[in-house]
Amino acid sequence: MLAKRIQPMASQAKRLYVELMFQVMGRALQAVSEVDGEVQKEAQALPKGFLFEMMVMPEGAKLIVEHIGGGRFHYHGDSAPRAVDVSIQFKHLTHAFLVLSFQEKTSIAFAHDRMLVDGDVSYAVRMTRVLNRLESFILPKIIAKRAVKEYPENLHLPEKLISAAQIYLKVATHFIQTARA
Amino acid sequence: MSNSYYEFFCPVKVIAGKAALEHIPYELSGLAAKRPMIVTDKGVRAAGLLDPVIAACEESGLEIISIYDDVPPDSSTTVVRDIAAIYRKEKCDSIIAIGGGSAIDTGKAVNILVSEGGDDVAKYTGAGVIKRPLKPFLVVPTTAGTGSEVTSIAVITDEKKGVKLPFTSSYLLPNAAVIDPRMTLTLPPHITAATAMDAMTHAVESFTCMAKNPLSDAYAAAAIKKVSHSLLQVMDNPKDSDGRLELAQASTMAGIAFSNSMVGLVHSLGHATGALCHLPHGLCMSLYLPYVLEYNLETIRGPLGELLLHLEGPEIYAATPASRRAEASISALRKLRDALYKRCQLPRTLKETGKVTEEQLDQIAEMALDDGSIMFNPKEVTLKDARAVLQRAWA
Repeated sequence: MLAKRIQPMASQAKRLYVELMFQVMGRALQAVSEVDGEVQKEAQALPKGFLFEMMVMPEGAKLIVEHIGGGRFHYHGDSAPRAVDVSIQFKHLTHAFLVLSFQEKTSIAFAHDRMLVDGDVSYAVRMTRVLNRLESFILPKIIAKRAVKEYPENLHLPEKLISAAQIYLKVATHFIQTARA
Repeated sequence: MSNSYYEFFCPVKVIAGKAALEHIPYELSGLAAKRPMIVTDKGVRAAGLLDPVIAACEESGLEIISIYDDVPPDSSTTVVRDIAAIYRKEKCDSIIAIGGGSAIDTGKAVNILVSEGGDDVAKYTGAGVIKRPLKPFLVVPTTAGTGSEVTSIAVITDEKKGVKLPFTSSYLLPNAAVIDPRMTLTLPPHITAATAMDAMTHAVESFTCMAKNPLSDAYAAAAIKKVSHSLLQVMDNPKDSDGRLELAQASTMAGIAFSNSMVGLVHSLGHATGALCHLPHGLCMSLYLPYVLEYNLETIRGPLGELLLHLEGPEIYAATPASRRAEASISALRKLRDALYKRCQLPRTLKETGKVTEEQLDQIAEMALDDGSIMFNPKEVTLKDARAVLQRAWA
């Protein structure tokens, strides 16, 4: 009886967590593209105006970013100005929760068929590298190791701390600007 | 409880062995098909490989309504459209694709058009666009390597845009794959070697990459055992039909394995090298396999060590300390490549191909990094890593 009552609450909590994480990740993608040369280099290979989406199937939470040129991303929230170019879709809320709560690496989630790619796979591979780079910056090493296939050896603490601080500051600022708007 | 999870799917009926071609009329009748069209290429026809298929059908009173034998090595949307037009004009009701990867992929793409309608197959590109079963479709492979007869993907070139279009759907899978040793009996030695090493690579990567699972492992291990046991026998005696059948079955089994567990860096590098230097896929697979296994070694030591049993047999496996089995597996593959080089000069290094320059390595590495299969490689690969593997494979 208790379990039956708790289940919808747990499901709602997962939903809220995934929505929040998408909001943070979307803003952080924009921020990391403003502070990290590696990410800019990766993003520059994407066409200008390229729209990338991560979403939970069928109509769940989503994040959309656009490559606005020069290796910079712009976060569009959960609505795209036009049809997206590449979409990474989690098959179920639970699968998104596993990845976004760092219980399952993104690479493992792909291998486990938890999500699928709609669009040019080579761009999806590139965006996955960007996401990995972002996670390596913004998460403590012990958690980042659970999120990415391999924690980058050349990412040392001073660079990580400085970049993470810049990214979090930009994310917070964006949140405040959104709230004010 | 671990997060372990996998999916496995292969609904293709496999019809394999002596006189397998003679089952085609029965299989088509079971699918209510009476007017089949053959899709193949000129090489297959010139080798006389259509004759036993046509004879088998005629003996059962089944007329082949149309034969399209002009599939190019790199099939295009125009070719697909033309074949679909002939299919409709002749009122065919089923397709038999006979050939290697290109003929089979073309057959899959034609089946999309004749089942879904229209003239532009490009609009069906991508994953999961096709939502319903297509027309009856049989595949008769004439090489033992690609495994295309059991994969749910087709790749067709869009000539206008100059891009390769992937089509992915479980509905692309044929109703049956017909594996008859007569169809590979006349394969020349270097193609026999390269395609068998393609199957070997499918199986080894399937067994060692991230999406490995118990069912794909079983198919992969069996395929490795068959290739290890039969390849050199067939190279020494090309008319060995039992050996040919073993290789053909290995190819299908490896196809089932890798289509359910994906492949890794060998394929990423191979796809890039094929695109930039126009080297055959099987050759690239054979070339890169040991170098990539060495790169991945510490992440795949367990499964790679297990493969020694299937590569070298129980005596050598038992005599090799567990801690050395992974290295011994790589040595076994190198030994096999050396034997193939001796028999048909199948290149073991990029330099030996004579078609790659050292200046191209950076470009190959960059392209490989964007290949979808790199996602499933067990070890992360940076540009520097890919370049280092290529350098080792150079000479």
